[in-house]
Amino acid sequence: MLELHQISRSFSGTKVLDEVSFAVPRGALTGFVGANGAGKTTTMRIIMGLLSANSGHVSLDGKTLSTPTRPSFGYMPEERGLYPKQPIIDQLIYLGQLHSLSRATARERAMELLSRFGLEHRAKSKLESLSLGNQQRVQVAAALLHEPDVLVLDEPFSGLDPLAVDAMSSILADYAARGVPVLFSSHQLDLLDTLVDHLVIIQDGKIRANASAQDLRAAHTSRYQLSLGADAGWLRTEPGVEVIDLSGSNALVSFATVADSQRVLAHALSRGNVTEFAVHRPALADIYREIIA
Amino acid sequence: MSTQTTPPWLIVTLREVETKLRDKAFIISTLVTLLLIIGSIAVTGFLATRTTHFTVAATDQVSLTVLNQAASDAEEQLKINVEQLPAEAAAAQLDAGQIDATLSQNSANKFMLTGSDEVPVKLQGELREATEKVLTAQLLTSAGLNADQLPGDDALEVAQMHGDAERSSMIQAMAFLFSFLFYMSAIIFGMPIANSVIEEKQNRVVEILASAINLRQLLAGKILGNVILALAQLLLFLAVGLLAAYLSPVQIPFLGVVSQVAGWFVVFFLGGFLVLAGIWATLGALASRTEDLQQSSGPVVGVLMAVLFIGIYAKGGFLVIASYVPIVSSVAMPIRLLGGEVSLVEPITSLAITLATCWFTILFAERIYRRAVMHTGGALTLRKALKLEL
Repeated sequence: MLELHQISRSFSGTKVLDEVSFAVPRGALTGFVGANGAGKTTTMRIIMGLLSANSGHVSLDGKTLSTPTRPSFGYMPEERGLYPKQPIIDQLIYLGQLHSLSRATARERAMELLSRFGLEHRAKSKLESLSLGNQQRVQVAAALLHEPDVLVLDEPFSGLDPLAVDAMSSILADYAARGVPVLFSSHQLDLLDTLVDHLVIIQDGKIRANASAQDLRAAHTSRYQLSLGADAGWLRTEPGVEVIDLSGSNALVSFATVADSQRVLAHALSRGNVTEFAVHRPALADIYREIIA
Repeated sequence: MSTQTTPPWLIVTLREVETKLRDKAFIISTLVTLLLIIGSIAVTGFLATRTTHFTVAATDQVSLTVLNQAASDAEEQLKINVEQLPAEAAAAQLDAGQIDATLSQNSANKFMLTGSDEVPVKLQGELREATEKVLTAQLLTSAGLNADQLPGDDALEVAQMHGDAERSSMIQAMAFLFSFLFYMSAIIFGMPIANSVIEEKQNRVVEILASAINLRQLLAGKILGNVILALAQLLLFLAVGLLAAYLSPVQIPFLGVVSQVAGWFVVFFLGGFLVLAGIWATLGALASRTEDLQQSSGPVVGVLMAVLFIGIYAKGGFLVIASYVPIVSSVAMPIRLLGGEVSLVEPITSLAITLATCWFTILFAERIYRRAVMHTGGALTLRKALKLEL
């Protein structure tokens, strides 16, 4: 498990991270979300040892990471970083070697990953000759070359077409399933719903939520979706009911107590048809919006 | 998975070398320079040994004396075949192109040198001297004097306390060569250090590199790679140049001294280049785009121009001081060594100063590099870069 312990960091007097603590468990995909400038990239750079923290520390399986380099981690920086004017295979081999692979192994691994991404025939092309989506795939290949122990990916989905998003999701899920802690940031909140097992929300340098997706949803399931046979306007005057949204015969409500919910259901049935009375499963995107609101 | 223990700096070094060796522009410029070196030595040799032949006919006795005098005085590369013909026959042969010129006495003190469609300048000069000599000798004889009693043009002898004149011109030529080689290498191999730092900074590849290996190793690898390339190219140029000079049919004086000093030059070159490499890396780290480098590299290019001019023009006390100033000393000390009056302590002291500077520059470069290379946004000043936190 990768853990951050009360990390704080300021840039010329401005506090960018304030006692940030969270864990990236093994065997799960952890999504890291926050608005622009919330501190995601700084946090990831501190995890990778590229920036130092003013206080706090990062640990892996309980051991503090003290050296500034993380050769066993796989990293994809926010602003994509490879050599545009060089052949893909050459730079992948170079990066593999810098991650302690032998030249032959690096080549083998690079070709393996390129063919997994359907890019084996482009191995000798210059990176800049590829489409943005394909460049992104090469970038991921660069992060995966050395079979990393931990994966830290800054916005891996940005700029990808839907098929590429699927491919990327399955790769990340694959690594998570092997027990590698995977942390990735994303702006595409709708992606998170189907993908993440664990969610960390950061706002203005402070962690606002840090829990499994399941727990987060459970904590935000006090809402019910009601669909009635007739107008649902009467719910507004019902005691113990808060109407969040109402249009015609449909309403999104929350109840003060479970007893209230059962009483309202009985009442609704007595008034006519009830076509839906269900716990409303919030999308993680909704939970995010609610938390940072 | 098979792993390796090659140190990261070596991987970076090898890659720098490999990338450069695949660069067509680099290969072509090296080959062109080599050809220029061989070509200029060959041309000098050819010009020095080429002999020009002229056939000149004298139409009277005095002209014949003049031509014979000219033929015996002519330098090695000029051969004058003398013939004696009657005026008409001479004119006919000149017209037919069988001879190059005719010489005839017009009056007591005047001669006429006639060419077909040109009168060779070399011949004119040679005959002008000869006519003067012959006429003077005639005058003296008629006055009862002997020409040998007149003071000759060797009345003034030249000596210099230090070195000799021929050596001075050799030093001048070598000074130009050393200065030019250093200037060229410093630009050809120095600039790429800065550019490769900027490229990695601009693409953010440096984030991946820095998370994998220590930035010190990355910097060391880059500098070393370019030093190896610069040194290899320099050695190639020097070796080919010296070899061509040895093989040249012309005796080039002081080749022994030049070869010896070339060895010193290589050592000083290495020291000076390392200092520059550190400076180039710092400039690269401070810039955020390649365009920034054009501004910030101004002072470095200025220093290099100074090296070029000091190498070519500096003399005396100024040259002595220059031979102890790092970077400039890379050229100035070898030039002094060519003079042959420098004790061994001097180059060693100067080298020690350069190496110490080198060490500080590289430490400083690393300090700036570690701070500035992660910085995004505009170009940094040195002061701002030093204030950045890691």
